[in-house]
Amino acid sequence: MTKIGLEIHCQLTNLESKLFCTCRANYRGYEPNTNVCPICMGLPGTLPLLNQKAVEKATTIAMALNCKTPEKLAFFRKNYFYPDLPKNFQITQLNVYGPTSIGLEGKVLVDEKEIRILRIQLEEDPGRLIYEGSSEKTQITLVDYNRAGTPLVEIVTEPDFENPKQVRLFLNMLSDLLENLSVSDPELEGAIRADVNVSIQGGKRVEIKNIGSFHDLEKAIHFEITRQESLAARNIQIIQETRHWDEQRKITISARRKEEELEYRYFLEGDIPWILIDSQTLDRLKNDMPESIISKKERYISKYKIPSQVAEVLSSDKFYSDMFEQVRDETNVKDVANIITTDLMGLVDTKEKRENSKLTPQHLVELVNAIKSNKITRTAAKIALKEIVKSGKTLSDVISELDLVHVSDASELTRIIDQVLSEEIIAVEQAKTNPDTINYLIGKVMQKTKGNADPKLTLSIIQKKIQT
Amino acid sequence: MILKEKIEEVAKLMRIELDDHVVYLDRVQKMIEYFDILDEADVESEKLSVQELPIKNLREDKHIPYEERIIDTLKNYKGNYIRAPKMI
Amino acid sequence: MNLAISGLKYIEEIKNGNYTIEEFVSKTLEQIQKLDGKLHAFLSLNDKAIDQAKKLDKKIQKNEKIGACFGMPISIKDNICVKGTKTTCASKMLEDFVAPYEATVISKLKSEDAIIIGKTNMDEFAMGLTTEFSAFGPSRNPWNHDYVPGGSSGGSAVAVRALECVASLGSDTGGSVRNPASFCSVVGYKPTYGLVSRYGLISYANSIEQIGPLTRTVEDLAFILNIISGIDDKDNTTVDNKNEDYLSEIDAGVEGKKIGIIKEMIGDGADKEVVSATNNAVKKFENLGAKCEEISLDMVDYSVAAYYTISATEAGSNLARYDNLRYGFDFPLEGFEFNSYISKARKNFGPEVTRRLIVGGFVPSAGFAGKYFLKALKVKSKLTAEVNEAFKKVDLLLAPTVPICPFKLGEKIDDPIALFLIDFNTVTANLTGKPAISIPFELSDGLPIGIQLLAKSMHDKALLQAAYALQNTVHLPEIQL
Repeated sequence: MTKIGLEIHCQLTNLESKLFCTCRANYRGYEPNTNVCPICMGLPGTLPLLNQKAVEKATTIAMALNCKTPEKLAFFRKNYFYPDLPKNFQITQLNVYGPTSIGLEGKVLVDEKEIRILRIQLEEDPGRLIYEGSSEKTQITLVDYNRAGTPLVEIVTEPDFENPKQVRLFLNMLSDLLENLSVSDPELEGAIRADVNVSIQGGKRVEIKNIGSFHDLEKAIHFEITRQESLAARNIQIIQETRHWDEQRKITISARRKEEELEYRYFLEGDIPWILIDSQTLDRLKNDMPESIISKKERYISKYKIPSQVAEVLSSDKFYSDMFEQVRDETNVKDVANIITTDLMGLVDTKEKRENSKLTPQHLVELVNAIKSNKITRTAAKIALKEIVKSGKTLSDVISELDLVHVSDASELTRIIDQVLSEEIIAVEQAKTNPDTINYLIGKVMQKTKGNADPKLTLSIIQKKIQT
Repeated sequence: MILKEKIEEVAKLMRIELDDHVVYLDRVQKMIEYFDILDEADVESEKLSVQELPIKNLREDKHIPYEERIIDTLKNYKGNYIRAPKMI
Repeated sequence: MNLAISGLKYIEEIKNGNYTIEEFVSKTLEQIQKLDGKLHAFLSLNDKAIDQAKKLDKKIQKNEKIGACFGMPISIKDNICVKGTKTTCASKMLEDFVAPYEATVISKLKSEDAIIIGKTNMDEFAMGLTTEFSAFGPSRNPWNHDYVPGGSSGGSAVAVRALECVASLGSDTGGSVRNPASFCSVVGYKPTYGLVSRYGLISYANSIEQIGPLTRTVEDLAFILNIISGIDDKDNTTVDNKNEDYLSEIDAGVEGKKIGIIKEMIGDGADKEVVSATNNAVKKFENLGAKCEEISLDMVDYSVAAYYTISATEAGSNLARYDNLRYGFDFPLEGFEFNSYISKARKNFGPEVTRRLIVGGFVPSAGFAGKYFLKALKVKSKLTAEVNEAFKKVDLLLAPTVPICPFKLGEKIDDPIALFLIDFNTVTANLTGKPAISIPFELSDGLPIGIQLLAKSMHDKALLQAAYALQNTVHLPEIQL
């Protein structure tokens, strides 16, 4: 049986400061080595100063993944030499002296399958390396330490996944969960990264590192299963090793790490005392936790009678569910859910579009009311929404500017219909015997009113006129 | 007895090139041999004693930019980057 | 003007206008000029010291507010960062390192208008107890230049004894303040772990070390401790001492106090002169009204092995950052691969540091951690429990600071185990986090012997009171400089 396990690294991008110093947690978009200080540069004599909120947010993640959260947290040093590590060790967590990492022994259901979480640990992200010149014959490595010290939560699962699809569903669930908890923005490049280990029946465990995207992760797992199966078919032993994902060639390559590299000399970080988390803090974190995605979905279905599929879409995306919660009232839940999941979705489907969107909850309230009171049609509402997202203008301005007002006034409509009938004499004659021609006439009326005519009313007026 | 080959391996792990083996290996071997006295200490059942700190005493999550450009006080830089030797 | 005065006396003289700060600082610099060629207590001097003195004198003239130190010239061990000055740890590895920030203890001293007169010599990265392992040459004992001054804060002890400064800050990882204090006959202090901020102290073994003052009197020590102690938001391991005043009630005495003499520390390894001095100290305490009894701490026999195992492990990690990439010395990296470059660069560590780094790579490594590192941690825990138990019976513990008399330069440098055992009496305070002080007590053949006292954690004040009582019974001959 195929066994797949994950090691997922999530940056706590929504924090203000790094894990051990007051530089920015979200380092993106700054000149290299400008989001640094003596602490995150590992200068001699500096000491790590643990960020309280990082501990709290990481604990919240552990709670959301149904992990045990220890009363005492300990930090350890993982020692190895690499230019992206300013101290040449990484401060991280282990459970060697009893349970002392942020969380452990959790479980979540994915696609009916139970996935066990082995451990969750809080640690620091290293800096970033840039290889000058071609990657094969690099002469010099450039280092940017802006990222060094960014709070990172590592989630280690048991090898409970059986196929790449389960992995994909789990990672989607995890992204949504992190977003819902407001701890991380999964859309940011590098905010969530995953290493994977794969073993097939009778074979040793193979780790794959260096996978750039979730899309490639699935490919890497597929490739690795195929590679291992073909070895097994030829009776070749599958050795325990670490392999790297080659992004260009879409294959895994043996990393051939030397034995000594596995020697990390872990020991307790003396500069950080063991952190005591009292039960009041744990209770507060639990109480402050936002409603889970599953519970939201169930509430939407049972309380608001929203169809299951719509509820699923609405609950799993924090942007949509927040919007929904702000706009809905007893009378409009279904309409609001519909507008969001059909009309709005295409307009704000990327992070960039969401950031640029000028839409406010007030806009949506007005829009739903306008549809309900027959002021505008659904079609017109869609056009108006697009314009509002773009410009942020008020609904009434948009209606008048784009001439979207719903032509439901019978006398006004009769005037327009009279005009159409006088221009379409042949069609009117045909319509008396062929009902299909009526549709042609309705189309003409719609053309003249830019789609704002009430279709039902139009039909009934035309029918009357033709019969008389 | 700790083998000198093992000690040389550790020196490599610690990223230190050795050239005078008498000054290093012999004395390191003596040092480590002295530590064998720890075998006689009756401490098997002992629990670790550690310093503790309540979570409320930890630093508040606040961005305070460092007032100086650290990079200007360092060496081996190119533009705003720190340079390191090539990686294999 | 006499340089051979205490810090408190100095402040009084300045307040009374008997001389100016500039006069005292110039005279101190002259003293350094005169003696330091031989003694080599300093690695660098503050060339703005006179300017700073003049500024403070002006403040006094204008009746402006001035800090409690009144321009007192204080020297600083070269592993404590003073912003904008070289901080070398007496290592070629950091020969050109200029600290871009200030250690907390330095900010505190400066805000009380102390003048940092210079940076003192030490064993490289504080690894040693003779100051012979300085990459820039050894310091010498001012009582006899053929003898070692102790270490690793040897330069600090020499500077204080030779009147090259009024007080000094050193660091004590396994006895590095108390050992040279004993060998040079000054007062040396290792505070309760966490009492003094380590921010800006370049780490050797961070879980057990503390910055500590070296002074000529116990009162001066209490005065400096008042300034540098206290919780620091830049060091998570500091503890709140509620602004304790260590100087007030320093003359409280030891009447009725119980003192335990640590039996293991005056055993076979101790020189007879040292044992005899210890017995004399016990008599003096009894005369002062204290009750003394022998006490046994089983774990002390394993303490040196535990200390070197733990300190080497932490050093192996703390010194890993010296890869010469971001700071260090001039050594072009073109043409090298990363690992070969840093392995070559790290040859700039001296032999003792190199040895301890190798030990520090070995004892916590897979397959050996259980035999060495974990055992050492457990010895540390059990020793702490034993000492805590002893403090239920007695108020203070007493032992000679160093089991042997000062020895000549070169005498023990090639014998690692002999060097280990010199730390036998001092490492217990570090492994258990307790405060400990070395008080000048006797001279034997013209060379000093110090007596050490230990107290419960956060009982630093009681410790200084006892040290003060003992100090007042001691009258040593003047040193010939």
